[in-house]
Amino acid sequence: MKKIAVFGYNRLSFEAISRLDKSSHDILIIETDPALAATAEDKGFSTADIDFRSDEDLKSIGIGSTIDIIFCFLPEDSKNVFLTISARAIDPSLDIIAIVDDPQSAEKLIAAGANKIIDPYQICGQKIHELIKKPDITNIIDHTVFGRHDLHMAEVVIPEDSYLENTFTSDLTLNEHHNLVLIGIVDKELGDELHFAIGENDHKIDAGDIMVVLGPSREINAFKKEVAHVSTDKI
Amino acid sequence: MFSRAFVYFAYLLKTSDRYTDIKGFFYDLLENPDSKRKSYFDIFMICLVMLSVFFLVYSVEHDLNETGEFFEQGVVFVFISEYLLRAWLYSDSHRIIIEEYEKAQYLNAHFSLFSTLRKVIAKKLEYMFSLFAIIDLLAILPSYRPLRILRILLIFRLFKLFRYSNSIKVFSDVLSSKRFELITLAIFMGFLVFISSIAIYLFENNSSGGNIQDLYDAFYWSIVTISTVGYGDITPQTFGGRLVTVTLILTGLGVLSFFTSIIVAAFNDKMHVLRENRTYAELSRYKSFIIICGFGRVGQEIAKQFDNVNQAFIVIDKDENNVFLAKQKHYLSIQDDASKNSVLINAGINRGATSVLCATGNDVTNVYVTLTSRHLNPEIQIISRANRQDNVNKLFQAGADHVIQPFEIAGLLAAEYVGQPVAFEAILGILQEQKQIQMETLTVHAGSLLCKMQIGEVGFKDRKLTLVGVISSDKKHQKHRNRYKVKNQHFYFNPEAHFELQQQDILVVIGREYSIEHFQDQIEKSRLQLGRN
Repeated sequence: MKKIAVFGYNRLSFEAISRLDKSSHDILIIETDPALAATAEDKGFSTADIDFRSDEDLKSIGIGSTIDIIFCFLPEDSKNVFLTISARAIDPSLDIIAIVDDPQSAEKLIAAGANKIIDPYQICGQKIHELIKKPDITNIIDHTVFGRHDLHMAEVVIPEDSYLENTFTSDLTLNEHHNLVLIGIVDKELGDELHFAIGENDHKIDAGDIMVVLGPSREINAFKKEVAHVSTDKI
Repeated sequence: MFSRAFVYFAYLLKTSDRYTDIKGFFYDLLENPDSKRKSYFDIFMICLVMLSVFFLVYSVEHDLNETGEFFEQGVVFVFISEYLLRAWLYSDSHRIIIEEYEKAQYLNAHFSLFSTLRKVIAKKLEYMFSLFAIIDLLAILPSYRPLRILRILLIFRLFKLFRYSNSIKVFSDVLSSKRFELITLAIFMGFLVFISSIAIYLFENNSSGGNIQDLYDAFYWSIVTISTVGYGDITPQTFGGRLVTVTLILTGLGVLSFFTSIIVAAFNDKMHVLRENRTYAELSRYKSFIIICGFGRVGQEIAKQFDNVNQAFIVIDKDENNVFLAKQKHYLSIQDDASKNSVLINAGINRGATSVLCATGNDVTNVYVTLTSRHLNPEIQIISRANRQDNVNKLFQAGADHVIQPFEIAGLLAAEYVGQPVAFEAILGILQEQKQIQMETLTVHAGSLLCKMQIGEVGFKDRKLTLVGVISSDKKHQKHRNRYKVKNQHFYFNPEAHFELQQQDILVVIGREYSIEHFQDQIEKSRLQLGRN
């Protein structure tokens, strides 16, 4: 169970929250506007009204102790930067995801310690560009990966003592045996970088490696079970 | 009998493709403002005129040798041909004849050849009396030997230059927009000159001890003084004359500054339009381009992407700052309201534009622009941004082909990042084409090596490509598993080895840019070879 604190309740945070699996994520919304907080509560989320400028308040909701991830979705870049700096100072291992309005603020957020920056406008612009350049691909990604069909991109972590250990990616033939397409692999021997599986290099699979696969969720789950082998099914 | 032959000949011209082609060729060469040929011809003519004027100046003090004479005759020949061709292009005489004839037939009246010919000639005369035609004629005439005295008229060749550039048109447009102010000023100046001429004549005539001989001198002096030029060849001697001079100089300053301010204001007003025309002219060089409405954050991002891949586009935005920003980046841009029909038409929605992107932050504007664009061009691709979920359907209703919601995508990516950071990087990597890894489509053309091939035989592994699936609308595939409906086609995810490719199927592959290109080349080649055999 991961605890997520979402700062700011707006359309972006609503979209993000509604995509998250409720059973494995415990979500807390921090909103100072009572009207917005009320709508969030109507939707069944727990809310808190704290001042993000105060370290005490941040600690009171569990940053530094129980919270694993925070979303900085406040409407102003400066506030997000401040929140990121405060939170990072309290908990160095916290996962911080922030949105950015002005592209120049992205560097500041990274410097402040955010793990991931999301620029909605940039992504939107890129999507439109993609739509014009490669309409077929974009349609497929929209219909499958972005959720309207039962095709997902998922990552599978290889646990200790998996039967796949010491096999090579070229011997996997996931597409024949599991009806999955292997998109890429993070080979921990080579670092945390994702290597796309396009038949260039053969990777030996070890425990801790992460495979990214594309396929129907039923097959993904079946594959995860099979990989785990020792039946510690973890997501 | 005679008139019959005329009508027959007119019909012959009307049906002759060759005649139409030739006329079209010369129209492109001489008159069509959008044609490339005309711009080359204009440059050629400008050079010719400059050269001939150079010879004219040279011949003032030197005698022309034979080459010079020969060149002069060549120039005159070109000028005469141009003059005649323009007269020919000005009107379609055979059309007038046919029109008159058919009218006569319809009304059961007598077809009068005489009145018809009069109309034809009247039309041609109309051309001959147009300003440019007169200038053209005056540039030719002095070359005719008996008219050698008119040599000075050769200066009209310089006026011909105006024909080949539209600066004079712009200037006269600017002036005519301030007609009222200019006329007022001219009347005022006329009075002023009149009064001062009379006054200076009365004070400064010879009998009063001044230098003014007659009224013409007085007029000349007035103009020289009022314009603040003041040559000083005629100077006032009497007290009265000096008083008139002082008054005239002071008023002259006022008149001059008024005149300058009118011209400056006129150019200022027109500058916006002039710049816009410039933008449109530049745009018309592109055969296909994209219209981006709204240069906010999303618009800027799209423009940046297009700029990177050298895709032509034009930005329309109402906001001055945004347009300024676009101009700074040297993007083609117009500051106007994209929901107006005229703006979109001028931007070329029916002439070369392939897509309209509504990227403003205001859903009301987006719906309105979408609706306008769809109304103007039922075929064009419209992609619109929706900022609120409730407006997505309205945009589709207004005619958008695709609707993008920035906050939905961003929210989704945030959620994805929390759940599966590595998969998130993969999606983002493919979306943004990082590390030259691409997801690309390959079409199976009839007759190419892929056609009727089974997936197992293609050998994606050796080609360093990963097959994700096949998009197809072919009914033969329907028995296969993993079928997903995407628009009016099906996407077959991870097809089995015995999946047989059909014409127009689209393969979706992941790979490095060059392996995809290489494969694509091979497919193309195989198709061409087959075509040759």
